[in-house]
Amino acid sequence: MWELLARSLEASTIFLFAALGELINQRAGVLNVGLEGLMLFGGTAAFITAQATGSYPLGFLAGLAIGGLLGLAHGFFSITLRGDQVVSGMGLWILSFGLTTYLGNPHTGPLGLARITSFFGLSPFFVLGVVLVGIAWFLLFRTTQGLAIRSVGENPAAAEASGISVTAVRYVCVLCGGVLAGLSGAAYTLSYNPVWNYNFLMGWGFVSLALVFFSMWNPWILLAGASLFGIMWQLSLSPELVLPGVLSRYVWRMVPFAITIPILTVISTPWFRRRWGLARPEALGRPYEKS
Amino acid sequence: MRLGRYDVTLEPRTTRPAFYSALTAVGAILLALALASVLFLSAQTPLLDAYRAIFSYAFFNPNGLLATIHRSIYLLLCTYAFLVPLRAGLWNIGLPGQVYAGGIAVFAIPFVFRTQESQTLSLPPVFLILLMVASAAAAGAVVGGFAGVLRARFQVNEILVTMMLNSILFWLVAYMIKEGGPFMSPRGEGESFALPPPLHAPLLWGVPFTAVLALGAAVFLDILFAKTPLGYRIRAFGQNPAAARYGGIIPLALSLFVFLLGGGFAGLAGYHYFAALPGVYKISGNYGYFGDLSFYGIISALIARGSSLGAVPIAVLFAGLSLGARFAQGQLRLPFGVDYALLGLLMMTFVASHVLYQFRVAWRRVPSPTLRPAPTQLPPG
Repeated sequence: MWELLARSLEASTIFLFAALGELINQRAGVLNVGLEGLMLFGGTAAFITAQATGSYPLGFLAGLAIGGLLGLAHGFFSITLRGDQVVSGMGLWILSFGLTTYLGNPHTGPLGLARITSFFGLSPFFVLGVVLVGIAWFLLFRTTQGLAIRSVGENPAAAEASGISVTAVRYVCVLCGGVLAGLSGAAYTLSYNPVWNYNFLMGWGFVSLALVFFSMWNPWILLAGASLFGIMWQLSLSPELVLPGVLSRYVWRMVPFAITIPILTVISTPWFRRRWGLARPEALGRPYEKS
Repeated sequence: MRLGRYDVTLEPRTTRPAFYSALTAVGAILLALALASVLFLSAQTPLLDAYRAIFSYAFFNPNGLLATIHRSIYLLLCTYAFLVPLRAGLWNIGLPGQVYAGGIAVFAIPFVFRTQESQTLSLPPVFLILLMVASAAAAGAVVGGFAGVLRARFQVNEILVTMMLNSILFWLVAYMIKEGGPFMSPRGEGESFALPPPLHAPLLWGVPFTAVLALGAAVFLDILFAKTPLGYRIRAFGQNPAAARYGGIIPLALSLFVFLLGGGFAGLAGYHYFAALPGVYKISGNYGYFGDLSFYGIISALIARGSSLGAVPIAVLFAGLSLGARFAQGQLRLPFGVDYALLGLLMMTFVASHVLYQFRVAWRRVPSPTLRPAPTQLPPG
């Protein structure tokens, strides 16, 4: 039972890293729907590098770097060029989906390195995830810089008038978001499931994106949501541990996705938005034009 | 941005002539092909030979050409599935899910009427084939319409919902055809039962009749968007939802309509791939590949800028390229996935061309300080 829980918490870490990066992005008003692409590319880069050099730190570094670069690419399109953020995000996702399938294919199979050590079965990344949530919360809600980030996401014109550079803040945030998405992909391919396979994520990135909406842009709620989804995901992978012989394993694989839709619907209702959802950044997805 | 003596800025274009759309489309495709050359550098074959292998197989080899036509029909139907909601400003990335739904609905008809076991049909095959086509379109429309309703009624992000539906339907197909699922083939593991020969889609000059649907829909959709009030409403809604609502356009009905229509096309694409392709006539174990292929429909629609007739040559080209790339990859012993890489590169060059489509680069000479000396004296008087 503990093993299942530890594994679930590791799965939730993957969701958590990516979603936390996206949360910071969105707090600054930039929506990146290509999160899954960043994770795919970061994870593949980390896997190939770690396999080639035999070093985990280099692998993680490559994952973080690629994630950050793609984040900046999204930033260039959506901040500097003021393009449609959905076009750019979808572009990044399909680009990564296509290119990683080609680049990673010769590396299909297990990583072939000793597993990263865990504490009593619990992945060190979970601890890192909780620490990062704490840092993100403190940064966003208790510091001047956090206030700058939130104001840029709510009302960029007012932020600019009070002396904040909207462009600079947004670039820093998309960089953070990209790096965290890269970390999430790297944690998947190097620790959670160190076997490369084409399109290995199969929707993790989109679930992470949904988690940001569930969290009402609060890191602590995000941690709870990610943990819940991690447990649900792990149960859907091995339902026989809890309900042996009930329904086909393929039916269980649908459950996390099927649960996401009603939750998304509830939090999108005007009733819910009025009651709880006031945290949605006002300028989310809108390019800012200095006048 | 300053470049030497020039001030370079991006300014929104005020007019976008049709030839300019065509130019950016061709530019994006050529650039993607040029970038794809990097993939072939690892092969021993010269670059031109690699491209010759791709194009000669896709368009000049009789087998390859037929396969290209079959795939073009599929990609075209997927293109419309994405294009119709896009005109209303909505992103239907649920093409794989809607294709799978169409496939399941197609095989549900012989399954329900018990025709897959005995070769004797109780009902006329023409009736059953029509029923299969209708049920495929209906299933795709239901899956698409679900996302449309949620979008319109509750403002639920349609990208997330359609993506979740993709995963759900992917596993639903796995459940249906694998490990003793209802549609599992009595002979093999991991694929569905084969359709009995009377239920194969009729061929017209060796091509499934779905070709007529695909080409007819291209004309129909362009007329719908250009000439009818409904098409006008969809375009108005896509360009400015708030203004459209003040103009009396009902968002709920419109979002639902575009997703129903789009999903219906994707369902037909599922019918085409699983029930109309000679030599297939079953849901094969690698059905996920056809789901991935449907993403080419997204790019065709985007590059064609929402014109369904414009998407026809693009979809044919992509069908040929993706097939030829698979073929060349075997010949040149390249790693698997050249067709996927091309998909990614096309998306990247599209996004780049989109910037040039929306903005123009304005060069303005910055007046040099040496040319205009500052006045040192007050003018007389």
